[in-house]
Amino acid sequence: MLTLNHILILSSLLFCISLFGIFVNRKNILLLLMSIELMLLSINTNFIAFSYFEHDIVGQVFVFFILAVAAAESAIGLAILISLYRLRNSIDINIISRLRG
Amino acid sequence: MEYQLILFYFLSAIILTSSIAMILIRNTVNSALLLVFIFFNTAIIWLLLNAEFLAILLVLVYVGAVLVLFLFVVMMLSEHEKQIPKKNSYIFLSSIVGLTMFVELLLIILSGNFNIATPVINNINVSNTSLLGIEIYTNHLISFEITAFILLVAIIAAIAITYSKKKKVLRQNTETQINATKADRLKIMKD
Repeated sequence: MLTLNHILILSSLLFCISLFGIFVNRKNILLLLMSIELMLLSINTNFIAFSYFEHDIVGQVFVFFILAVAAAESAIGLAILISLYRLRNSIDINIISRLRG
Repeated sequence: MEYQLILFYFLSAIILTSSIAMILIRNTVNSALLLVFIFFNTAIIWLLLNAEFLAILLVLVYVGAVLVLFLFVVMMLSEHEKQIPKKNSYIFLSSIVGLTMFVELLLIILSGNFNIATPVINNINVSNTSLLGIEIYTNHLISFEITAFILLVAIIAAIAITYSKKKKVLRQNTETQINATKADRLKIMKD
């Protein structure tokens, strides 16, 4: 029988793997953005599991909003990445520290 | 073991192995393609949880739009940027952090009473999409409008950030054409 525990453990594993990915790939902004997408996916899976097992549709409404906002966020992040690449000719994360003063 | 549980274990094994491969692989194009694979398999898990509309939304919006955007960006970057430098990685330290966090989450999950089995669905006649639509348009209308506005702002911001005027393109200059007088063009010479 599929229980809520199964889904919760899967999504927490996915969340921790993507956190691990953020720490490992902190030099590459593209992989960092992908890991953030993966984190949002695991959170959404949690929301849907609770909405299914607790008989409440509001969890799915939340997932709907999170999907829209995540799409906007990744679009703006990639636009910033493109303009950074045009300006500096590199996407190395060490270059961005120029604003530190 | 029933069919649903076997399918769940199969899908989660695929998701977890391909997410680890996505993080550790060196080619960014391959990681983007693995991310497509992960999103598709998660959509199947959402289908198991009776969220049909959101599952197809995930495939359409993410696999269709966002991941293609990622692939476009990878394509626009030059060749040497796609490779992650192998040195200076913090695999040991970050695996300690990730494992600690997972053990803590596991303790919380197992201590709570989350062992709920699959519930009996009462109203099988109402589809998931119409239920979601009724809920959004009656109780969450303002949030829905704000989401639409956020998407509009994101479109405008993405265009404004990446827009760049090209310098070497020859264009018609309408203003000088209109404001040109006869004296600019003709020069009458007398003896």
